[in-house]
Amino acid sequence: MNGLRRPSAQTTAMVRALAEEPTAWRYGSELCQRLDLTPGSLYPILIWLADRGLLETTWDTGAPSDRPPRHRYRLSGIGRALAAELAATPARRPQPKVRWQGA
Amino acid sequence: MRRSRTRRNLLIATAAAVVAAWAVLYVVVITTAPLSYDPASESAAKVNREFALLLAVPTALWVIAALLLVDRWWSRTGVRLAATDPPGRLLAVAVAALPSHRREWGVAMHAELAEIGGRSARWRFALSSTRAMLRMPPVGGWTVLALTAAVVVAVVAAAGPAAQAAAPGLGVFSVTFVALVGAMVVVAVARLRRPPGRVPAETVVVAGVVAAAVVMTVIFLLRDPAAARYLPAANAVFLAVVLAGCLWIAVAAPRSRGAGRVAPFIGIAAGVVWVGGQLLLMRAASVEPPVESPAQNLVDMVAAIWVMLGHAGVFFVPALVAGWIGRSFRSGLQAGIWAVVATLPLNYAVWLHEALGLYATHGGLLWFGDGAPEGENLSLVVSWGLRIIPLVGIPFAVIGAAIGPYAARPVVPGSPAGASARSPARR
Repeated sequence: MNGLRRPSAQTTAMVRALAEEPTAWRYGSELCQRLDLTPGSLYPILIWLADRGLLETTWDTGAPSDRPPRHRYRLSGIGRALAAELAATPARRPQPKVRWQGA
Repeated sequence: MRRSRTRRNLLIATAAAVVAAWAVLYVVVITTAPLSYDPASESAAKVNREFALLLAVPTALWVIAALLLVDRWWSRTGVRLAATDPPGRLLAVAVAALPSHRREWGVAMHAELAEIGGRSARWRFALSSTRAMLRMPPVGGWTVLALTAAVVVAVVAAAGPAAQAAAPGLGVFSVTFVALVGAMVVVAVARLRRPPGRVPAETVVVAGVVAAAVVMTVIFLLRDPAAARYLPAANAVFLAVVLAGCLWIAVAAPRSRGAGRVAPFIGIAAGVVWVGGQLLLMRAASVEPPVESPAQNLVDMVAAIWVMLGHAGVFFVPALVAGWIGRSFRSGLQAGIWAVVATLPLNYAVWLHEALGLYATHGGLLWFGDGAPEGENLSLVVSWGLRIIPLVGIPFAVIGAAIGPYAARPVVPGSPAGASARSPARR
């Protein structure tokens, strides 16, 4: 699996959710709602993915002037490859709590 | 309207806090170390009243400096914080505490908060995001951090007995200093993305001066083991905190670009000039046998003025000049801070060096006359050099930094310089 440890259930769920529309950019709060995760669980996963080059990030500069630019996310090429690998393996039951998986 | 009221209340609270702190200091001094007086001509109430009047001067200086700092902070940051709700403020503080290479993620969470409606939902989002920020892993991983911390603890545990065996009185100082430097290393491992490349020259200079101060402490205690009684535990801890603090600032201080880049060098140069001048005047003033001549009297007077009032100038002048060159309060403040972190350890090291030499030849204390044990130089340099000088001098750095930008030539609107320049009041 690209030299990576097998991701946790929440990370796998995140990768699968992002892989549904791989070219679409997603916002953090949108992913929180979709995966029913708190930011305290979601952002460590996003950072873990980004640190390993699995996630592309960009700033949305088209936000209204009274709002700060938002961070957007989508899978990178190797992120999509990971998603394909995960899709080929059976899904695990979600664990109750997301933990850091090393930096 | 509401914001201007908040600013005014903040300034009033700041002034009140500074006055209260000095009042506490006054009460502590007159109760724990009552001032001596001649009962035949004075009373305790009279000397305490005079002492209160004396303290009014530094109190006023600190009030002015604190008001200037808070006003600048308000115009840059406070006004933005006041415009957000408590969850927004919590996240803003958490983001500011993140290491620079992780700050992007904190800003991302802060931006998402703007999309969340409802007070309780915003609090939940902010608290959960703060938890995520607190748990961000160090780049080297938790294992590297834990190993580093373990090595630091081992070194601290070994430093105390080893130092105490080498020189009596050095144990507390060594443990505190090594522990603080070790904490700096642990924080660096936790926050740095990669090992630092070229170490800035100003950091090297201050680190060298701090090393000189540590070496002079060791030499002084080795040369005069009885001096250990003049470095009690409280003073030893204070000395270690000051020296490690200077080192910490020199390593971690943010670097400016452009005109502000010279601010650290201006600060260091001011410290070198002041301490160097003091050294020359000290030697010129301590001729043996004493000579009574107009020239010598002039030298004595200049030396006294240099020592008693020079520390106001050593912080004020570099802050003023750097603020003027960089056209910003920030540049001036940086120069003032660098003047402090260079001057304190340099003055301390030179003081101890000269004190040893003077006592060997003349048998007297540096600046404070004859008839006292050599070790008393140690308590004098800690009290005067590391307490009084910064206590009186630091406000002058802030005041100089505030005046500097206004002393600069006004920028003509529309000129090339004016295109990039902003009002000094907002920088």
